[in-house]
Amino acid sequence: MSKQVQPAAAKPQKASLSMDPQYIGRLVGTLTGVCLVVALLLGIVNYVTKPLIDASQKAKQDAAMARVLPADEYIPWEGTLPEHVTALYQASASGTALGWVAETSASGSQGIIEMMVGVSMDGRVTGVSVVSHSETPNIGSKVVDDQSVLDRFIGMSHEGGEITVNAGTNRFDGISGATYSSKGVAAGVNAALAAVGQLS
Amino acid sequence: MNFGKQLKEGIITQNPVLVQLLGMCSTLAITTSVANGIGMGVSVTIILTLSNIFISLLRKIIPDQVRIAAYIVVIAGFVTMVDLILQAYFEELAASLGVFIPLIVVNCIILARAESFASKHRPLAAAVDGICQGLGYTLVLVVMSAIRELLGAGTLNGVEVFPSEYAVQMLALPVGGFLTLGFLIALMQWARSKTGQGGK
Repeated sequence: MSKQVQPAAAKPQKASLSMDPQYIGRLVGTLTGVCLVVALLLGIVNYVTKPLIDASQKAKQDAAMARVLPADEYIPWEGTLPEHVTALYQASASGTALGWVAETSASGSQGIIEMMVGVSMDGRVTGVSVVSHSETPNIGSKVVDDQSVLDRFIGMSHEGGEITVNAGTNRFDGISGATYSSKGVAAGVNAALAAVGQLS
Repeated sequence: MNFGKQLKEGIITQNPVLVQLLGMCSTLAITTSVANGIGMGVSVTIILTLSNIFISLLRKIIPDQVRIAAYIVVIAGFVTMVDLILQAYFEELAASLGVFIPLIVVNCIILARAESFASKHRPLAAAVDGICQGLGYTLVLVVMSAIRELLGAGTLNGVEVFPSEYAVQMLALPVGGFLTLGFLIALMQWARSKTGQGGK
C-alpha cells in the first residue's frame, strides 16, 4: 500500500510562538525581503512590457473603431461623459462628420465587457465590436465573440425607448443561456445611444 | 529522484485533480472547449514548474511561520509576470487565455505542491514534480473538455462533429462540469481499486 499524506493531527504540537525579538526580526525581514524582490522583478517586467501592451491595446481599439464606423479621423470628445461611457470620439471623413464612436463598458455575467459602439448622425447603431470581455467560453462568448449576433444591433436606435433584451418593442433577441451577457452588451449599446442623444 | 515514479504519481496515483482533488474550481470553470483546456493546462504547468523551482531554492531561507505568505507572494508575482509577458509578446495567446491567467494565483495545486513537495526537495526534483503534476492536471482538463465540448456543443477543438441541435447544452453549463468531473473521479477510483492502489 502506498503511504498517503499524514494527517496533521499526528504531528506533535509546536511550542508556543517565540517572542524573541531577534527571531521576530528574522520573520519580518525575510517576508519583507521576499516582497521587495518580487516587487522589484514585477516593476522591471512592467517597465519593459507596458509600452508594448499599450501599443497593442491601442491597435485593438483602433481596429474596433474602424470596424464599427469606418472614417479617416476620430476626434476625442472633451466633456463630461455619462455613466458606462469611457470615451467618445467624433468620426469624420474628409471634413464631414459621419457620426460618433463611443467606448462603453457594462457588466456581463462574469465581468466587465468593453466595447466600441458606432452611432450615425441620426442616432442609429452602425456597428458594435467587443474589445475585451471575460464571459464564459461557449456560453457568454456566443454573444460577445460572435459578430453576427453583435450585428443584430445595427440600425437600432432610441426612437422607441431603450433597447431591451427579449422583451418590449425595441427588442434585441439575445442568446438563450447567455441572458446576462446579452443584457451586458445591450446596456453598453444603450449607454452609447444615450451619450450621443445627449449631444444633439 | 525518479522521473518515472514522479510522472506516474502526477498522472495516475497522485493525480492533482482526480486523486488529490485540487484545483477543482478552475477545472469546472474552464473545461468548456479543448483549446481552453490545453491553454490553461500549459499555463499552469509553466507557472507550477517556475514557482516550484523558486520555492525549492528559498526553502532554507524562509522561516516556517511565514512560509505560506512568502509562497503566495512568489506565486502571485510569477503569475503577474507571465500574464504581462504573454500580453506583450504573445498577444493572440493572451487574448484566448486572458481570463484564466489571473485565476492561476488561486489555483490550489500550486500552493499545495509548494507546501508538500517543493519546500522539502531540491530544485531539480521540484522542477520535475512541477512538470509531472502539471501534465496530470493538463491531461484531466483535456479529457474533461473533450467530453464536454463533444457532447455539449457537438464540436471537437472547434471542428464540427455532429450538428449542434443534437448536442446536450447542459454539459457546457456548470452542471455538466460537476457531472463530468464526478464521473471521471469515480472512474479513477474504480481503476485504482482494481489495481489495489486506491482506498476502499
